[in-house]
Amino acid sequence: MVKKIHDLKQWQKSLRVVDPWSMGVMFLILALLPIFISNEYYLNILTICLIYATLASTWNLLVGYTGILSFGHQAFYGLGAYFSALITIKLQLSPWLGLLAGGCFAGLLSLLIGIPCLRLRIAPYIAIATLAFSEIMLVICRNWVSLTRGEMGLWGIPTFENFSVLGLFDVQFSGGAKISYYYVMLAIFIITLLVIYFQLSSKIGTALKSIREDQDAAASLGVDITRYKLTAFITSSFFAGVTGSFYAHYLSILEPGAVFGVAEMVEVVAITLVGGIGTFLGPTVGAFTLIIGLETLRMVADYRMIIYGATLVLLILLMPNGLLHGMTNLVLKAKHFFNSRKYTGENKV
Amino acid sequence: MIHYSILFEQLINGLVLGSMYALVASGLTLIWGTMKMLNFSHGELFMLGGFGIYIGVVSFHLPVWLALSLVMVFIFIIAALIEKAFISPLLKRPDWDVSAVVVTLGIGIFIQNLAFKIWGGDYRNVPYVVEGTLSFLGMRFAWHRIYILVMTVIVLVGFWQFMKRTRFGMAMRATSFDSDTAMLMGIAPRRIFTITFGLSACLAALAGSALAPIFSVNPWMGVVPLIKGFIVVILGGLGSFSGAILGGFIIGLSETFSVLFLPSGWKDIISFVLLIVILVIRPQGLLGKKEW
Amino acid sequence: MLKVENLDVYYGEAQALWGLNLSVSSGDICTLVGANGGGKTTLLKTLCGLLSVQRGSIVLDGEDLLNFKPEDRVSLGLSMSPEGRKIFSNMTVEENLLIGAYNKNAWKKRADLLEKIFEQFPRLKERRGQMAGTLSGGERQMLAIGRALMSEPKMLLLDEPSLGLAPKTVEQVMELIQSINESGVTILLVEQNVNVALKIAQYGYVIESGRIAMHDAAEVLMANDHVREAYLGL
Repeated sequence: MVKKIHDLKQWQKSLRVVDPWSMGVMFLILALLPIFISNEYYLNILTICLIYATLASTWNLLVGYTGILSFGHQAFYGLGAYFSALITIKLQLSPWLGLLAGGCFAGLLSLLIGIPCLRLRIAPYIAIATLAFSEIMLVICRNWVSLTRGEMGLWGIPTFENFSVLGLFDVQFSGGAKISYYYVMLAIFIITLLVIYFQLSSKIGTALKSIREDQDAAASLGVDITRYKLTAFITSSFFAGVTGSFYAHYLSILEPGAVFGVAEMVEVVAITLVGGIGTFLGPTVGAFTLIIGLETLRMVADYRMIIYGATLVLLILLMPNGLLHGMTNLVLKAKHFFNSRKYTGENKV
Repeated sequence: MIHYSILFEQLINGLVLGSMYALVASGLTLIWGTMKMLNFSHGELFMLGGFGIYIGVVSFHLPVWLALSLVMVFIFIIAALIEKAFISPLLKRPDWDVSAVVVTLGIGIFIQNLAFKIWGGDYRNVPYVVEGTLSFLGMRFAWHRIYILVMTVIVLVGFWQFMKRTRFGMAMRATSFDSDTAMLMGIAPRRIFTITFGLSACLAALAGSALAPIFSVNPWMGVVPLIKGFIVVILGGLGSFSGAILGGFIIGLSETFSVLFLPSGWKDIISFVLLIVILVIRPQGLLGKKEW
Repeated sequence: MLKVENLDVYYGEAQALWGLNLSVSSGDICTLVGANGGGKTTLLKTLCGLLSVQRGSIVLDGEDLLNFKPEDRVSLGLSMSPEGRKIFSNMTVEENLLIGAYNKNAWKKRADLLEKIFEQFPRLKERRGQMAGTLSGGERQMLAIGRALMSEPKMLLLDEPSLGLAPKTVEQVMELIQSINESGVTILLVEQNVNVALKIAQYGYVIESGRIAMHDAAEVLMANDHVREAYLGL
């Protein structure tokens, strides 16, 4: 293992996480999507896809790139959601400010569990400790009725204020105008991915990846493990918090189980693994596949979750490196098949 | 001043709850010990134990001992098939730890919703294995609770002896320590994995069937024991059998006694806080070192 | 007894053994010596089935070993004592020995076999109830050998039994190996400590970068200039 890391520069090279072009193309497609899909129902599903794509990408930063196996990511999603909802309801702050405040609150509280977790070296310990943390948040949220109204849930969370762009056209936020929400979430998604991208392609990224491969070797090379791990933890919690805050203002109602529930975590883990853990765009591919798939399965109402469970198992078994990788492989194979006469022996598929 | 009889009753309740946690957790720790994976379908195997005993005793009017043995056999076979078909193909993967989590999660979701589809979401009641109550110093205890305690002690001691003395138990311990070297002894690790998975499922199902008369049977009954089970194994030290038992009773007792000074909604927080506090003090868990 | 022919083995992409030929005749102590990373342990792992074979054959007593899974090779009479650290330190000394008799035939006779081993290794008898992890280096080595003998092997493979032991202990272990051999077990002794290995062996192979560099009767190798220079430091 040690031999792999002796040249940090070479590492940096191998860490071209994603071709910026394919990221750009993806953003463009997502930005143009509402032109073709204007149905409110579909826009809602796409917005939910983006929520999970963001959550899964931030989780992937932790697990896929840093090797911190957290099962408590939903805690930060929920903390962002509740904090933002409460300050906008009780203090009448702007929901736009709420997005930022929710993220900061989640990032700050992530230190509560992030610091104790640094001492844990075996992955399942971190997994269960973080899970315990998020369950604590759930219990608090359920029982601190005077603040959160507990299981009754928060109602009438203010939605984003309308604004106009240069006085030319108005951006409105209401139940009938899902498109504005879609673009807000898309903006959050893009910013999150860009931040993760720049983090991974900078020195921090090299350090993070070397930590995942081999902590001891990384430490011996003078990588400040603690600092980088915490940076990754805070970054990912911050954006999970922002996403949670968006969720609160998007739906206007909030109950503890919807954000803090283990089911949210299960969803994020499944999405990331199905899409391809440790790949930059994998979580996004996974989110769109699973969320749209799950929605399509509503047709078979009763069998929906049965099929979902079976599909998860089969996808993991049959696509070892995730859908993204599996699809790229298919494309490569197809290319290879068509080009095989031209480039014999050059393509290594 | 709290009357001593309340304390004593809580003690019994705590021990009953603790023995359930100990049974569930020892199955989880067994799987971690040999296969180095977290089994997220463990709760559903617990649930199947509950439904198994319901079907045997209520639907088919079988005697409890017969129903219980049939359930054990069925669960063992189901679990062994799951392991062979879905888990064993993952063994050589580099992302083994995470992919095993998602596959077992998928299996869990599948079983839970299949159970919902077949049996519906009603809460079903199962009669006590042993009817009646025991009166003692003015206190009354359901015999069923005593039965759970005795059964747990017998099963755990029996299992311990099995691991300690039998050819197969030794092979399991050897494999959990170093599967390559175990192979040199003529042990087939893959077979050990399958059987370990089956036995661990039996421990979960046994807990589920014993608890079925106390908490009623439904498709979601395995969710809480699963999470608590994980808390217990980490608290006790992952891979440690005695740690799982110790952890199970610590969590069971502290949860029941917390009722005396905490509003009931806050009861669930005890185990989670306890876990984090103990991990801060002792990162490897209470008995976190491999031993049997 | 054991015949290896034209063996090619790969470690991932890299070839580790190149057309290796080796044979051990019944009743002998045969030794395979060479520097670290030369392919000694690779060969042993291949013989036990822990590594897969690209080309070539391995025949033990007329049986083609490649047709058997690693765990089934024990019942053919092949047993390996891996280097000393690889004992089950989570189990007691006695349990370690018992697990050596895991295959069905040996398990039936485990009590007798255990008695026999305890006769041969009185130190292990003294420590039978102790956790194997608490043993000294020499005792661990004895335990690994004793455990391998519990399956009543025809052929015993020994991986670096002298590794990390004091010279005095090395001597004891070598004497032990000789006495095991005298009781009728054929031995393939893989060693880095060329001097002691060639002293007790009848025949020897020298392995260098995955190939057999030379092989001859042990006394002849002892007198060979290349061996003396490269391995005995003379």
